[in-house]
Amino acid sequence: MIHVHGLTKHYTDLRRGKIVALEGVDFHARSGQIYGLLGPNGAGKTTALRILSTVLRPTSGTAAINGFDVVTQPAAVRRQIGFMSANTAVYDRMTGWEMVEYFGRLYGIPDDELRERMEHLFQRLKMDDTRDVLGAKMSTGMKQKVSVARALVHDPPVLIFDEATSGLDVLVARALLNTVAELREHGKCVIYSTHIMREVEKLCDRIGIIHRGHLLAEGTLEELRDRYRERDFEELFFRLITAHDEAHPPQAAPATAGTQA
Amino acid sequence: MNVRNVKLILGREIRDQLRDRRTMFMIFVLPILLYPLLGLSFLQISQFMQEQPTRVLVVGARDLGELPALFENDRFAAGLFKEPERARLLEVKFESDEPRDEPPLADPQRREEASREKAERRVQTREFDAALCIPPDFSERLSLFRQAMKDRAANTELGDAPNPLIVYSTAHERSMIAFARLSEVLGAWKEQIVESHLQASRMPVAAARPFAAERIDVAGDSGLRGAATWAKILPMLLVLWAMTGAFYPAVDLCAGEKERGTLETLLSSPAQRSEIVLGKLATIMLFSMATAALNLIAMGVTGWAVVAQFPALGSPPPYAVVWLALAMLPVAALFSALSLALAAFARSSKEGQYYLMPLMLVTMPLVVMPMSPSMELNLGTSLIPVTGLVLLLRSVLEGGYWQGLQFLPPVAAVTLGCCWLAIRWAVEQFNAESVLFRESERLDVGLWLRHLHRDRQPTPTVAEAVFCGVVILAVRFFMGLAMKPPEDFDGFVMLTLASQLVVILTPALLMTAVLAGSAKQTLLLRRPRALAVPAAALLAVVLHPVAVQLASAVQRLYPITGMEAFAKHIEALTKDAPFWQILLLMALTPAICEELAFRGCILSGFRHLGHKWRAIIYSALFFGVTHAILQQSLIAALVGVVIGYIAVQTGSILPGMVFHAVHNGLMLSISRLTPATVERWPLLGTLMYRVDDGWSYHWGTVVLGGLAAALLWLWFGRLAYTKSPEEELQEAIERGSEEKDED
Repeated sequence: MIHVHGLTKHYTDLRRGKIVALEGVDFHARSGQIYGLLGPNGAGKTTALRILSTVLRPTSGTAAINGFDVVTQPAAVRRQIGFMSANTAVYDRMTGWEMVEYFGRLYGIPDDELRERMEHLFQRLKMDDTRDVLGAKMSTGMKQKVSVARALVHDPPVLIFDEATSGLDVLVARALLNTVAELREHGKCVIYSTHIMREVEKLCDRIGIIHRGHLLAEGTLEELRDRYRERDFEELFFRLITAHDEAHPPQAAPATAGTQA
Repeated sequence: MNVRNVKLILGREIRDQLRDRRTMFMIFVLPILLYPLLGLSFLQISQFMQEQPTRVLVVGARDLGELPALFENDRFAAGLFKEPERARLLEVKFESDEPRDEPPLADPQRREEASREKAERRVQTREFDAALCIPPDFSERLSLFRQAMKDRAANTELGDAPNPLIVYSTAHERSMIAFARLSEVLGAWKEQIVESHLQASRMPVAAARPFAAERIDVAGDSGLRGAATWAKILPMLLVLWAMTGAFYPAVDLCAGEKERGTLETLLSSPAQRSEIVLGKLATIMLFSMATAALNLIAMGVTGWAVVAQFPALGSPPPYAVVWLALAMLPVAALFSALSLALAAFARSSKEGQYYLMPLMLVTMPLVVMPMSPSMELNLGTSLIPVTGLVLLLRSVLEGGYWQGLQFLPPVAAVTLGCCWLAIRWAVEQFNAESVLFRESERLDVGLWLRHLHRDRQPTPTVAEAVFCGVVILAVRFFMGLAMKPPEDFDGFVMLTLASQLVVILTPALLMTAVLAGSAKQTLLLRRPRALAVPAAALLAVVLHPVAVQLASAVQRLYPITGMEAFAKHIEALTKDAPFWQILLLMALTPAICEELAFRGCILSGFRHLGHKWRAIIYSALFFGVTHAILQQSLIAALVGVVIGYIAVQTGSILPGMVFHAVHNGLMLSISRLTPATVERWPLLGTLMYRVDDGWSYHWGTVVLGGLAAALLWLWFGRLAYTKSPEEELQEAIERGSEEKDED
């Protein structure tokens, strides 16, 4: 479903010259699976997911979603995915209903089918309170629901969530995690990036630990625990990061990856 | 391109803007409120602006005897004014009415001098705005003169008797107004005196006025009365409002969307970048046109009452609405695309607002320049963006339809070209990750310069190619101002070498050395395939008749004016020089220098655009603009396209240089061709014939040459050329979208 091979992204910084945001990242994810991309801030998660959503282009390497290449077939890729991140906000001057309808139309869904699907989505995500409220007047939780509905409106086979729970209170975050888990039940392939270990432990079928643009380890939670003989996942994560930093001492402060290209 | 998506985006953006109170206020409410308020204020202020009376001190005789009356009821006589009610504008005070502090001087001359000095002081201290001093013996002297005329005396000379004197001050505006009014009154009085003299001597009064010129304003019948004024004001307002109306929505639609975080939402939707740009562009255009139209209408309605106060101005020409509406579309398109690209570049609304001033600074001269009466629509001015359009509009508003039609093609080509470029630029902005995800960086010029050198690619970037072209044009401009026309052949050689080596070659080589990692790759210093060089030379030969016909067509359509003397001067300087020297100077040197700059540094930079034809055309445009005479520039740009194609297809600079040298060489040869040479070479006679100013090819030669050129062009087209990484990527994307369509 998702095949990422040798994905590399460099950009130029005035002060430091060439900056490596991603270096030779490989991973695969299939339907009915939640793939967790875990890493500290600035690890390269957002860059990787922006490349998967075709917003950025890789310097080298390939990434294919449902057989479509992110570089040469970006429009086809975007039809296969629902992308939601901290950077995909809702429109201030549109109501929740209008916003989801707008994106549904951009996906070319016929009007009757769109209305039916939206009624179903609004019911499932309990979004009646956002229906006629303008984005500017919504609470963070309401906005997050609209974003989820927007990402799901065309019923894509692949969903990409980038730091989706950041800034949410516990209740809203939990509801979102439940929605993501439900998506797996519906056979979707979900890429879920976060820096919160609890979420990964609870939610993900496979985990990729990413740091300073490199994928340090990959596997199921059990595989990782066995491989590194460490039951405490937080400890495991910390050991991997520290070992990498010792082997490759950082030359400068880490870049805010994905926000520069 | 999915039109449905463009419509969807357009619909959403319009709804979004209509829900924005600020936009609604700026576009719809402000004009409706602003103009009536301005009109009201204008009428209020105009009450204070009514003409105020000026105070005049009259020194000298109040009673002027037999002369026609200068004063009546302590004012100047109403009959001396064009409009009698204007008599109130000159308040008169007679010095003779004032109480005297001291006894008058006995000597009349000294008395007169003292009075004059006192009047001067009183005008200086602004007690009076002006003073009129009439000499004491003024009426007596004129009476004597009249008597002499009556008696037909031999000597009717007036001698050097003193004249009336007006005392005023240019340091004081009211004083200058008083002076103008006094001059008008005295002029009319003089005429009355002349007429009375003539009557007294029984001469016809008409002798003093042999004729009075009458006038007729033909514009009145055609409904164009006062059109010249409107033809200047309306286009300027149209452009300024269209620009303002485009800018604010553009900032909200791009920079605002970045700021609110919704741009990435849209970018990850199935809408393509070009669809997003077109949807937003159409919205901005709509608002730009609405702003321009509403402001013009609101101003027109309000202005009607105000304009009625100035009958000389006349109402706007009746067809103005049609022409303005027609011009509104390209004007709005151009400024919308420019605003969109600028706004896409901005990180935030605040930064976006900053870009209005530079846009305004660039646009204002282009809009204000055409208001000058000396600026007329011709080939040169029609090729200036915005200015050409404003001049064209001015011309049709003044009723010059034929002139307008004649220059419609260049104006339309330039305007559409600029629109297209601006739209492309906007799309590039939306495709550029560095623009979409730009972060604020400290301004550090040193750091930036180091970065340019340290992180350089093998060939210059697009921006560096543009910079190189602009540097060449700027150096050329300043050198043109500094250098004097050559006086002899040596001077001509120096001037030509300087313009080639200093203006063109040096910037290109310097930039290649500093900004490009590989000079060999940038300047295309590769050995071409065996047949490429002779093929390029042959192409230049067979294309020559076409080039000559084209040059003479351009010359016929848009004759070169004002350059004849200079051309003759250069011809005189070079006519005795050996032809091989001329060839070396004007064919070989430009071929080397210009090719290294335009097909080397600049074309290599533009290849990063990812489309070889765009790269060829942009580099050819720079090549064309570098030529001094506009008519030459047009041909040079076309030649630039051919050489650019050769350079891309062969991957080497050499075939292009050979083409360039042969092309220039043939142009120089034909200018030196004499009938004797043609007689000696009968083949030449079958190819060409003599015309007034030189030689022209027979149409058969031109057609055959064109066909041969097409075949050679096809041969170059079949060569496997080296693509830039961006061109390869673009092709992969096109293949990818084709595969998807097949699916």
